[in-house]
Amino acid sequence: MAQVEIRNLGKVYPGKVRAVSGASADIADGEFIVLVGPSGCGKSTILRMIAGLEEVSEGDLFIGGDRVNDLEPGERDIAMVFQNYALYPHMTVRRNMEYGLRNEGLPKDQIAARIAEAARTLRLEEYLDRKPRQLSGGQRQRVAMGRAIVREPKAFLFDEPLSNLDAKLRTQLRAELRALHVRLGATFIYVTHDQVEAMSLADRIIVMNAGQIEQIGAPLELYQKPATRFVAEFIGTPAMNFVEARPVTAGLKIDLPEGASLPGPCAMVDQLAAPAHIGFRPEDLVLEPQDGAAGLRLDLQVMFAEQLGADTVIHARLAGQSDPVTIRVESAQNPAPGATMTAYAPNAALHVFDAATGQRL
Amino acid sequence: MVENRFYLTVLTHAVLITGVFFLCFPVWMALVASTHPASALSSTPIPLWFGDQGWENYSQLLSGGLPEAGGVPVGQMMLNSGLMALGITFGKIAVSVLAAYAIVYFRFPFRMVFFWLIFLTLMLPVEVRILPTYDVITKLGMLNSYQGLIIPLIASATATFLFRQFFMTIPDELVEAARIDRAGPLRFFWDILLPLSRTNIAALFIILFIYGWNQYLWPLIITSDESLYTVVMGIQRMVNSGEQLPVWHYIMGTAVLAMVPPVIVVVAMQKLFVKGLVESEK
Repeated sequence: MAQVEIRNLGKVYPGKVRAVSGASADIADGEFIVLVGPSGCGKSTILRMIAGLEEVSEGDLFIGGDRVNDLEPGERDIAMVFQNYALYPHMTVRRNMEYGLRNEGLPKDQIAARIAEAARTLRLEEYLDRKPRQLSGGQRQRVAMGRAIVREPKAFLFDEPLSNLDAKLRTQLRAELRALHVRLGATFIYVTHDQVEAMSLADRIIVMNAGQIEQIGAPLELYQKPATRFVAEFIGTPAMNFVEARPVTAGLKIDLPEGASLPGPCAMVDQLAAPAHIGFRPEDLVLEPQDGAAGLRLDLQVMFAEQLGADTVIHARLAGQSDPVTIRVESAQNPAPGATMTAYAPNAALHVFDAATGQRL
Repeated sequence: MVENRFYLTVLTHAVLITGVFFLCFPVWMALVASTHPASALSSTPIPLWFGDQGWENYSQLLSGGLPEAGGVPVGQMMLNSGLMALGITFGKIAVSVLAAYAIVYFRFPFRMVFFWLIFLTLMLPVEVRILPTYDVITKLGMLNSYQGLIIPLIASATATFLFRQFFMTIPDELVEAARIDRAGPLRFFWDILLPLSRTNIAALFIILFIYGWNQYLWPLIITSDESLYTVVMGIQRMVNSGEQLPVWHYIMGTAVLAMVPPVIVVVAMQKLFVKGLVESEK
């Protein structure tokens, strides 16, 4: 168990294709950190650099205080779980879990003890003598985790381990993973493209976009105070809504799309000097104006409503913009398509981002 | 299109049975002929059922020296053939599996050049390079030796290519998992790659064993010492025994004996062979 530190990490593939640039982060001992982002954002590349499967082109990588840039994967004392499990198909479950330990030259009785312990933790005892092909997807992934656990590594690396499983199993294994982290108290570094997975598992999340780190923070921090428009859009379902705001005369009059208006004062928006995007979450919209709090008023035309049971998501159109607005309301609501409605976003729920840089204002 | 008509069924079966008959009749004749004395085969009608000389013929073939075949017992020839075929088979598999491992898993300069060079030699059969090869073997002093019989036939572009194709289907994550599990290149090869190639090796074993067993031209050129003659050469020599009548009962007996080892290999490895062709367990 150890802390992992990346300093200005960069990866350039042959042919000058840049996958990652200037990534820095401190991952504390025992932390569950999740790297999240759309496909091709460089999250897997960072994980693979930490594992030693990709060479580090720029920057430094420390595991437990030692610079490991030039060490072989086997020498870094890490364990990795892959998306497609990567179990050795010709070996039994037991042999799969033993393999790394045998290569380390651990005495036989210690190997047996560790495997018994891991098999108990992961409820794999009755499968130890089976081959991977005789197991279900979820069981295979548990074997892959078992293979990692028995190594007792400094850090566990997970590369989208749940992506090949069906939704129900994914939820179940997610809970098991969380429990496993609590039990082992080890450093977990986990890559996923699924923001729900990231939110539910992580102590801290690293959001990546186009090879760069957008923001590092606790799940709620990212949700409540996204540092960039990208993070705001990426975290939370349904995604955050945006309207464009352009100051006509700096600090005096703000131009909003037709249908959107600011009935009262709003310090953040009123003082805009440059074009900006005003964001507000579907769940923050209310259908009645609240006393005192002015906020953003939206006159909408309903497109359709999704009744999800616990709540209803209304998709509506704002006259002056092509992007629809989604509103999350209680399940009793079921407006007919074509109906007009008015929604309000309180001042406190508005997020303002610079239109040019995407940075939070 | 599956039609279920009576006459069609009869017709297709008739065609198939005719085919089987044509295929099996020569083998039957060889079996029958090998159990008769020489005189029975040089007079009409040729016998179609077993004679009473089987035991004598085969024991003479296996242990006694036949003047018609250069005085070497067929047992010795079969041993020679077997050693050559096994040598070629194991050699080819060992060389090509290692070559494919290098080409697929290691980044060295001119890797693709080497691959295409190997691939090009697919187009050159033994016969094309037989004179230069003979020259090399002579200068190495390997005439009339098992090494001389085996080594020049060991390189195999086909097998290298097959192993390369197989290795390329093994997922990268497996290699990466092994690296994280501290398996070095040799360990990965021995513990993971070879066991996974098991069925491919079995399939190649059958094909290459038969290829080696049936070699004729190369042993003919490289050996002049009778004690190194192979069984395929032996049959040929018996047929062309000059002035005398061909000893058909012995020739057929030798042919039958020559069929036995390939049949054993095929039967023994058949299961793995089919698995190798059908299964893709990765």
